[in-house]
Amino acid sequence: MMTSNEYVSDYTLMELMAATMAREFRDTETAFVGIGPPLIAAMVAKFTHGPNMTIAVEGGAIGSAPRRLLTCIADSTIDEKAYSCLPMWRLFGDQQRGFFNVGLIGAAQIDKFGNLNTTAIGGYPRAKVRVAGSGGGNDIGSSVGRLLVMMRQERRRFIERVDYLTTPGFLSGGDSRQKAGLLGGGPAAVITDMGVFRFEPDSKEMYLASCHPGLEPEQVKANVSWDLKIHPDCTVTERPTREQVEIMRILDPYGLYLGNGRAQMADPEKGFDFYMKVLENSYDMMEQLYKQKS
Amino acid sequence: MQKKHHTAPVNKVMSLKQAVAQFVQDGAYLSFGGIGDRTPTAAIHEVARQGKKNLSLVSDTSVSFVHDSILIGLGLVDKFEIAYNWGGIWGSDAVYRRALEQEIPQRIEIEEYSNLSTGMRFLAASMGLSFMPVKSLLGSDIPLHNTRIKIIDDPYTGEPVALVPAAYPDVAFIHVQRCDPIGNAQILGHIGDDDSLARAAEYVVITTEEIVPTDEIRRHPNLTCIPYYCVDAVVHVPFGSHGRGCSYCYAMDVPYGNQVNKAWATQESFKRWAEEWIYGVDDWEGYCQKIGWDRLIRLARAEQRYQKYGEVR
Repeated sequence: MMTSNEYVSDYTLMELMAATMAREFRDTETAFVGIGPPLIAAMVAKFTHGPNMTIAVEGGAIGSAPRRLLTCIADSTIDEKAYSCLPMWRLFGDQQRGFFNVGLIGAAQIDKFGNLNTTAIGGYPRAKVRVAGSGGGNDIGSSVGRLLVMMRQERRRFIERVDYLTTPGFLSGGDSRQKAGLLGGGPAAVITDMGVFRFEPDSKEMYLASCHPGLEPEQVKANVSWDLKIHPDCTVTERPTREQVEIMRILDPYGLYLGNGRAQMADPEKGFDFYMKVLENSYDMMEQLYKQKS
Repeated sequence: MQKKHHTAPVNKVMSLKQAVAQFVQDGAYLSFGGIGDRTPTAAIHEVARQGKKNLSLVSDTSVSFVHDSILIGLGLVDKFEIAYNWGGIWGSDAVYRRALEQEIPQRIEIEEYSNLSTGMRFLAASMGLSFMPVKSLLGSDIPLHNTRIKIIDDPYTGEPVALVPAAYPDVAFIHVQRCDPIGNAQILGHIGDDDSLARAAEYVVITTEEIVPTDEIRRHPNLTCIPYYCVDAVVHVPFGSHGRGCSYCYAMDVPYGNQVNKAWATQESFKRWAEEWIYGVDDWEGYCQKIGWDRLIRLARAEQRYQKYGEVR
């Protein structure tokens, strides 16, 4: 088990996204990661090509080695076997100082220069649709070495200019980001359920770098509301390996993030027992995974 | 700005009812600590139960269903200074959406920051300063809508830098794992911004899973991130963060949040939820009774299977 680098064909779209995102992390990097599929992607990287990667999460914990799935950027799981538990401002201060190579977050909207909206759609402060707000998103986008973004591909989410610029990407392109005084490197990759996007070195405009298997560039372009550039060498996204998928299914065996596990948990009668089972069963499986990978 | 009152190393143990009645006035500027974990939910329920109104709230990250949104939904909040307010794995927050999309039950003034810049606001106040500089917020729309954030040229480098105003709450409520009777509070696990918040607020109420002797505190003084002189009240509230978790004590109750999320779908069903879970019980013990001690003990066992203070798991 888990020695195989062969590609699999029986994977879900979420698994493809998480596997693709995992490849963006490098060994020995310090990574700032949001919860849910982003965290699963980072954990897959850690259990495959990145054993020396350190994952930090916003609440203030660095390098935890949890044996259960994290459900929040700051639940008790993030403290489990951590290297260090700090105040939150201290962790973000470390990021501002330049200790964090890479960060991964999601968004409700993105624009052609990789700016993100996680605050409000259709007006502010009175919004048509209100969402969470910056949280640490603005801080990560401002100061992290490379910003990675994971989100759903929809025409109304990929728009010329975000309704509210919560997290800076490359602002208006070119050198506008440096001119604003931002320290971090800005967005490096955006991974959706349709493809992988990157940014031109000078103009900083987003382009399509690869399409997920079975899709054509024009289909992706139809789900972007500006005139999306397609790289001349636009490829097909690498499929997940057997090893990646097996690790994901150990990390999230009940599909809380990668399947429909959350619906089961919401069941008023059986939800709590189901949740207890998820929590209790995770210990042995994860212990085994750590042993195999250490 | 310096503290107005001095706090002595004397026994400060009292009930939550008494602490809220004594320290929280209508119109107060409040902050409830914790981040995801150690949410002072018992204190929030008690503030709601006593109907304290016209409140201003300041938080870094507030998790819906157990935090600031409860008071917003009850119409007790006029102003909200915040970086993130949402349900996370529990899903979207209908109360917050109604407040900001439809001004139900009333309009709230909103002043937004990021997590780091909110932390810097508490840090500034914790040192008696009026602002802190930060390299976040630049180039974003956050300072366009929040004019209390100033973007200036750094006088030393000439580069742009954002200044955020200090936040000096009237009262902060912070939930911890261990505290002694005079108020030396120890946090296990991640700290959020609570060490700064405890120094920034004029009055601080600690709710604690356990009250321990001062000699126990003295065994591990490095854990005391909130010394007694910050603290005005110590309240023993086991399971005081139920809904969320409390590191080393009990795990998060994810299905509970899912249920509350459903109950908050409309303003009418939200009110019924509050009638049942907040106004329908006398205190947090009544709430725990209603949740069920069996359930709480199972959550404690689940957490302690993975981490228990002082033991390798």
